[in-house]
Amino acid sequence: MASRKKVLLKVIILGDSGVGKTSLMNQYVAKKFSNQYKATIGADFLTKEVMVDDRLVTMQIWDTAGQERFQSLGVAFYRGADGCVLVFDVTMPNTFRSLDSWRDEFLIQASPRDPENFPFVVIGNKIDLENRAVSARRAQGWCHSKGDIPYFETSAKEAINVEQAFQAVAKNAMAQESDVELCSDFPDPIKLKDDQAKPRENCAC
Amino acid sequence: MASEAEERQRLLRAVKKEVKQIMEEAVTRKFVHEESSSITSLCAAVEACLLHCLRKRALGLFKYGSTMALLQKVSKSFEPAAEVSRLVADLETPSSTELSGSRKSLDNNKNQSKKNSTSVTTPKYLWLRVAIFEKKLAKILDYLVQNHSKYYEEESLIADPVDGPIFASLLVGPCALDYTKMKTSDHFWTDPPADELVQRHRIHSSSSHVFTSPGSPKRQGMQVRRDASSTEEAREPKLFHMSAREYVESLHQNSKLQLLYGKNNVLVQPKEDKEALPGYLSLHQSSDGLIIMWTPNQLMNGCCEDATDETDRSQYWEFAMTIYLEDIVYIHCHQQPDCRGTVVLVGQDGVQRPPIHFPKGGHLLSFLSCLENGLQPNGQLDPPLWSQKGKGKNTGKVFPKLRRKGSRLSSSSSTSSGSTTSMDEEEAADYVFRIISSFRPEMLTAEMLDPKALWSPRSPSSPHSSERSPWHVRRQLPPSPLVCTSVQSYARSQEEQNSECLVQASADANHRYLTYMNHIKQLCDTMTKQIISRAFYGWLAHCRHLKTVRTHLSGLVYHTAVSEDSPVDGKIGLTTEMWSKLCQNGIVTDSKEVYRLVYFGGVAHELRKQVWPYLLGHHKFGSSPEEREGLEQAVRTEYEKIMSEWLAVEAIIRQRDKEVIAANLAKLSQESTDGHIPLVRKDSSLSNEVFVSFESEEMSRPETVVEESSTARTTPSSDRKTSMELSITSSTIDRAVGTDTPPMPIKKGHLYQDSPDDGLGDSLARGSSTTTETDRSKTDSVGDSGFLTPLTPRSLPADVTDRITMVTKLSVDSAVLDEENANTQQEVKSRTNSAHEDGESSSKPDSLSTSRTSLDPRAGQDYEPGLEVKGHLSASRESLLSPASPASNGGIYSAELLDSVALNLHRIDKDVQRCDRNYHYFNCENLDKLRNIMCTYVWQHLDVGYVQGMCDLVAPLLVIFDDESLAYSCFCQLMKRMSSNFPHGGAMDTHFANMRSLIQILDAELFEHMHQHGDYTHFYFCYRWFLLDFKRELIYDDVFAVWETIWAAKHMTSSHFVLFIALALVQVYREIILDNNMDFTDIIKFFNEMAEHHNTKQVLKIARELVARLQTLIDNK
Repeated sequence: MASRKKVLLKVIILGDSGVGKTSLMNQYVAKKFSNQYKATIGADFLTKEVMVDDRLVTMQIWDTAGQERFQSLGVAFYRGADGCVLVFDVTMPNTFRSLDSWRDEFLIQASPRDPENFPFVVIGNKIDLENRAVSARRAQGWCHSKGDIPYFETSAKEAINVEQAFQAVAKNAMAQESDVELCSDFPDPIKLKDDQAKPRENCAC
Repeated sequence: MASEAEERQRLLRAVKKEVKQIMEEAVTRKFVHEESSSITSLCAAVEACLLHCLRKRALGLFKYGSTMALLQKVSKSFEPAAEVSRLVADLETPSSTELSGSRKSLDNNKNQSKKNSTSVTTPKYLWLRVAIFEKKLAKILDYLVQNHSKYYEEESLIADPVDGPIFASLLVGPCALDYTKMKTSDHFWTDPPADELVQRHRIHSSSSHVFTSPGSPKRQGMQVRRDASSTEEAREPKLFHMSAREYVESLHQNSKLQLLYGKNNVLVQPKEDKEALPGYLSLHQSSDGLIIMWTPNQLMNGCCEDATDETDRSQYWEFAMTIYLEDIVYIHCHQQPDCRGTVVLVGQDGVQRPPIHFPKGGHLLSFLSCLENGLQPNGQLDPPLWSQKGKGKNTGKVFPKLRRKGSRLSSSSSTSSGSTTSMDEEEAADYVFRIISSFRPEMLTAEMLDPKALWSPRSPSSPHSSERSPWHVRRQLPPSPLVCTSVQSYARSQEEQNSECLVQASADANHRYLTYMNHIKQLCDTMTKQIISRAFYGWLAHCRHLKTVRTHLSGLVYHTAVSEDSPVDGKIGLTTEMWSKLCQNGIVTDSKEVYRLVYFGGVAHELRKQVWPYLLGHHKFGSSPEEREGLEQAVRTEYEKIMSEWLAVEAIIRQRDKEVIAANLAKLSQESTDGHIPLVRKDSSLSNEVFVSFESEEMSRPETVVEESSTARTTPSSDRKTSMELSITSSTIDRAVGTDTPPMPIKKGHLYQDSPDDGLGDSLARGSSTTTETDRSKTDSVGDSGFLTPLTPRSLPADVTDRITMVTKLSVDSAVLDEENANTQQEVKSRTNSAHEDGESSSKPDSLSTSRTSLDPRAGQDYEPGLEVKGHLSASRESLLSPASPASNGGIYSAELLDSVALNLHRIDKDVQRCDRNYHYFNCENLDKLRNIMCTYVWQHLDVGYVQGMCDLVAPLLVIFDDESLAYSCFCQLMKRMSSNFPHGGAMDTHFANMRSLIQILDAELFEHMHQHGDYTHFYFCYRWFLLDFKRELIYDDVFAVWETIWAAKHMTSSHFVLFIALALVQVYREIILDNNMDFTDIIKFFNEMAEHHNTKQVLKIARELVARLQTLIDNK
């Protein structure tokens, strides 16, 4: 265990509604998948402790509402973000298309110090589905054009690549913050129950 | 262990109490005096904690029981501690020289010597005090807590993982305060006891004498120093009078001595051969126990107008007495017949002190009672003054008896007729009291110093001067007054030498005193002004507060309270029985009572379907069953009409989408087959280009794949419906269908085969068989043609051109697309045969057909004429079947409208699928209903469109009504209030603002907490609450109860009842919020995790109480 200062990284997950933001977050933090998630209203977050370059880092991962109408709420949540995960659904081209606006909106609202090098990560989710509509190359091309944003293809359902994607955003956020004095007195969250993200396997139909 | 824990808690509580005390003092008085009793008691409490389970070994050779040793230990490794340690050492050194000075006089007065030396010892808890004043104590304690293993046993308070840090952090507050040595206004403006006033007056009026005479002993202290350094002589006069004044002041209340009793003109016969002299007798409580002092009037009043009476004065000084009660064992009391009392104190050695004669009146008695009080709790008089038994005498009656006798004797003496009875009682009036101290002296003094006793609120008038701060005295000034008295005899011998200085000193002192007084007066004036202005601002703030209540909050509740208990107990709610009583002949008139019952007790579940329409304003109270039936009929017709409208548009959109998808698929397959063309080139040429082409397609027909996939489950029924209608009205349609279908299913089939597992991983749609899909595709085409035909005759040509221009405008690489499509079509054609189930469309069961019969005739009529055109259209469509010429163009519908609807439909589908999948009601069929309602509402409100959360609001209504049109109508009613909560409405900010005001008014502590944690400005943790009326926070049964309460409250107490539910939720968890010091994010997380775990009954109850509280608050303005 590194005994250096504990670091808090605030990571925001953005993307159109239904691309799997909540699923990704819960898969990463709780290692669980459920097909019972409802549309996120407002915002929620989970925290996870991870080691990044032998430093203990607390990731505070914010899950937001997908409808762009709720972006006005974003200001309160985006503020102070250390990293941002942009998610699209590989089976739906339009969700990929809106990454542009999500990224721009985030940069406007969060107004980070160095927008050019802000640690983004792009996730193409739902690769477990067969009807893929956005090719990896296209996604990569976009990421490349936006300053070499790391791109990951994941499946929150099958837990493919999820860990890596979040690890990458944590690592990049840490690298970004390394020159800045990192200090957080954020208290440990109160964990009331662990089984919040308990998967419910049965479909209601 | 349990007792240890208790002990720890007890210690911690004591510290908390003292910290609170001192913080309150700081707040109310804006400053805390360094000698404030609160500090002493705080130090005592801290000391007790520090001593708790302190390792004896840790302190090594240092004596146990002193935390000073601990400080010295800690200071070796902790810098702040070392600093404090140094300061303490600085303070202590001068006092030790004083001590040595005073020791010179020891031989003169054996009794006093011991006391004098101890009296000079530093005040208790010196290092703690210094640490507090230097603002280091919290740090030191924190260090101790962190390194507890070195100094403390495991079960100690400091080592406790919870209590230790709490203890350390408790001291942070006091360490942040500024302490003053200033005299406060209290010393001058409160009423001191009469005796004290007299004394004070005496000092002021004859200050010069008072100052000079006792100044002489002081000089002795100085003399010692002067020996060491002759240069100090110049400063001497100043020092004289200061110490002189100190002596006199020492007779009064001060930081080290508490005046328990004072009486002038008490006669003492200092020597056998002298006659009794009047003087001032005082009883003091010091850290070392009780002290009785007697000072001859000559010294008090000043007898040296001319400095010639030196012998007299020195004689008087010799007469002055200081008696330490600790040395006294017996007190002999003699009542004189002339009502005077005499007290003779007898020491441990059996030596009698000079008798003290009290003047007439109950002075002896009050002296004794003061003495007894002073001895407590660790000492007492034996027999006690008020005791009933002892020595065979009825001592319990002594006090009253003495008093009585005193009065009687005085009367008898005034008449100068000494009676025998008085003589009898005179004998009974001789007592011998024994002084018992039940504790070791150290303990005694520790208790004695209890500042609560020392600093009773009614005697805050002790003359603090800056010089009298314990350590500063020692550092800067000659010996303390007690030392002075002890060295008086020595002083006398030296006095002559300094008489000249004395005169000068007295004049100087006088002058200084006057300026000093002036200064104080100014200070007091300023303070008075400050106090007044502070009071004014306090009042002003209060007025503002009330104004806030009135202007902002009075609108939140109605001003008339509603009785919970009459006519019947509201808590039982609206039961079936009650409802049947209220519902006479199917007419419910008593809306008030319904609302009242619902507000306090909710609705019986089986009644909800009937009652909710009333609560939501769908049904009017007093309406007859027939009226209601008519209304429902009308609503249903209207609902179906609207539905047919958007279904038509949906069909168009779907058709359009299909074409786009076909194009996309073609492109994609081309990309994937001839790999050299697409990605690399496009990527390298800049991704933007890709986007343009992609966007151009999707701008005109968005959500292609998604739409298809997500509606897969829902569309069949609606489309089927259309086909049913049509097939009923005219057989030509069937024919038309027959002719029309062949090309369409091909496409459909193709699509579904290519994208079977599209989007969302939704298993629902996939559950349906391929037959359904093909079937749907058929019906789709029917729907398309059916709805299209009435429109196209009018506008077909313009329409087609429009469409073409649109397409050409938008699709940049349409040529490429066309090529691609040619390929696709080839593929499609090749698969044509696979999908042929023509006949099935008409035979499919239609779940909705019954409810839609009313629609059919009209639809049939409307569509009939179009059918003729149909042939052309379908023919032409076939020829036009390429992506560049969408056959499903929206007719009269504008592209914008289609886009907007398509987007909304897509969103609705997404959310409907995800809506409460875990709740048993929402199976596929009922989700269809939900979707229909949602789409119908959104179709009517396209300007706002679908916003996430709307589904959540429909769901409970649908669960209760299980009737599309009724649920729709009620949803519309509900949305009248709710829609402004959605992002476009702006009501959310109002909610937050109201919430803020409410918390401010109703829970100031919580408000303060939120204020400190800045980010609360937006109250986002309430966002979902208000947006969905707590639907996500509660389980379904509770949602019903909460919703109906909200609706009823609108007519009962408040149209903003949600605010009070929100407030109640916060109230329920306020302790958790406060105790855990939750900030903005913590609260969001907390409440998100608490969702569906709330005790709704309790929350509602609190909410109602809060409403009532605000009502009374407003009433009481």
